[in-house]
Amino acid sequence: MSTNQSVSPIRPSTEAKGPPFPSPRARRVERTIGIAAAVGTACTVWLGLWVTPPDATKGNTVPGDLVRLVYIHPGVAWVALYLAFGLAAVSSLLYLWPRTRSLFWDRLAAAAVEVGVIFNICTLISGSIWGRPTWGVWWAWDARLTSTAVLLVLFLGYMALRRVPAEPEVRAKRSAFVALFASVDIPIVHFSVLWWNTLHQGATVLNPNLSPTIHGSMAWTLLLGFVALTLVFVWMLLVRYRIGVMEDWLGSGEMDMALTERRAEGVDPDGSADRAAGGRAPGVGASLAPPSAPAVPAGAALLSDAPTPTGPGAPGGPGAEGVAGAEGAAGDGVGMLPEGAR
Amino acid sequence: MSYVVAGYVIVLTILFLYGVQLVWRRRRLTRAVERVRAASAATVTRGAGHHPPVDR
Repeated sequence: MSTNQSVSPIRPSTEAKGPPFPSPRARRVERTIGIAAAVGTACTVWLGLWVTPPDATKGNTVPGDLVRLVYIHPGVAWVALYLAFGLAAVSSLLYLWPRTRSLFWDRLAAAAVEVGVIFNICTLISGSIWGRPTWGVWWAWDARLTSTAVLLVLFLGYMALRRVPAEPEVRAKRSAFVALFASVDIPIVHFSVLWWNTLHQGATVLNPNLSPTIHGSMAWTLLLGFVALTLVFVWMLLVRYRIGVMEDWLGSGEMDMALTERRAEGVDPDGSADRAAGGRAPGVGASLAPPSAPAVPAGAALLSDAPTPTGPGAPGGPGAEGVAGAEGAAGDGVGMLPEGAR
Repeated sequence: MSYVVAGYVIVLTILFLYGVQLVWRRRRLTRAVERVRAASAATVTRGAGHHPPVDR
């Protein structure tokens, strides 16, 4: 076996690649959006529960106060269906488009889907709470409800698919296809109240005539709810995107360490390097080993990009699970190496 | 009115808890990234820039 092939320093140092932290300006913007979202949501709750009047057209069979749910239910549905899943679809399309292919779009889609799933769950719960006193049931196999639930299941599948160990590019490509497939359900959800006879009411604001059938303080509160929940979505998206960047960054470091560890075993068949390193590099602590101890400096693993991994510890290979699951491994430096890299 | 209050409480609680979880995850990852960067910087200072020949 050849022993004169060095690890190519594609990524010579972490500083050269740049730290995965946002600039101070980006942090300020993010904090401002977060504060605005919190204030907007608080105002929506205050207006919705205490200021706006009950619905005058109800009251005989359905309590007029139920209209107050309208200030949040369409807002969370708007964020889930149109903003989050729509953004995921566009991002996935841009990833698949050769000219705009970048992992940025993949991370953005992943972030949008995760946040969108949360909002979709909120949509179904708030809709169910509306349905119980209005329709007499918590759930009905209505076209709008069912298509929304199907959308949730589809994007839960997307999230599950992303957890399958794979190269980032492979994962991004198949995730993008699944996101586009799932997005077909978005127009079905939107037009379901027009295409089928449903329990769910038709569009109040975005109806085909473009003439909102709501006005006064109710309309303003509804609008504020849309804006506030949109800001909540943007804030969550920014934070979740940043998490994705850091996970990928740490994941690549772990991969480097695992591969270097395997190569060290190959260079040193009698296992002296392995013994010097304590048999196993303890996560991030591997870089903190005494400089004289390892045959291959553990820190080199963090400073260079390894060639295409093919051995154990590589994606898809034995022990790949620990590498791909960046979140769990990266957090506190425990279990940063897969079992296969021992 | 109880349905309305329940709806607001449940939705806002889910969003709040998810937001807290995001901040917690970000803080945890930020600490991990800082630790890795500090470790790699320390190794570079000790001369780890040299890559010895390794096996493929």
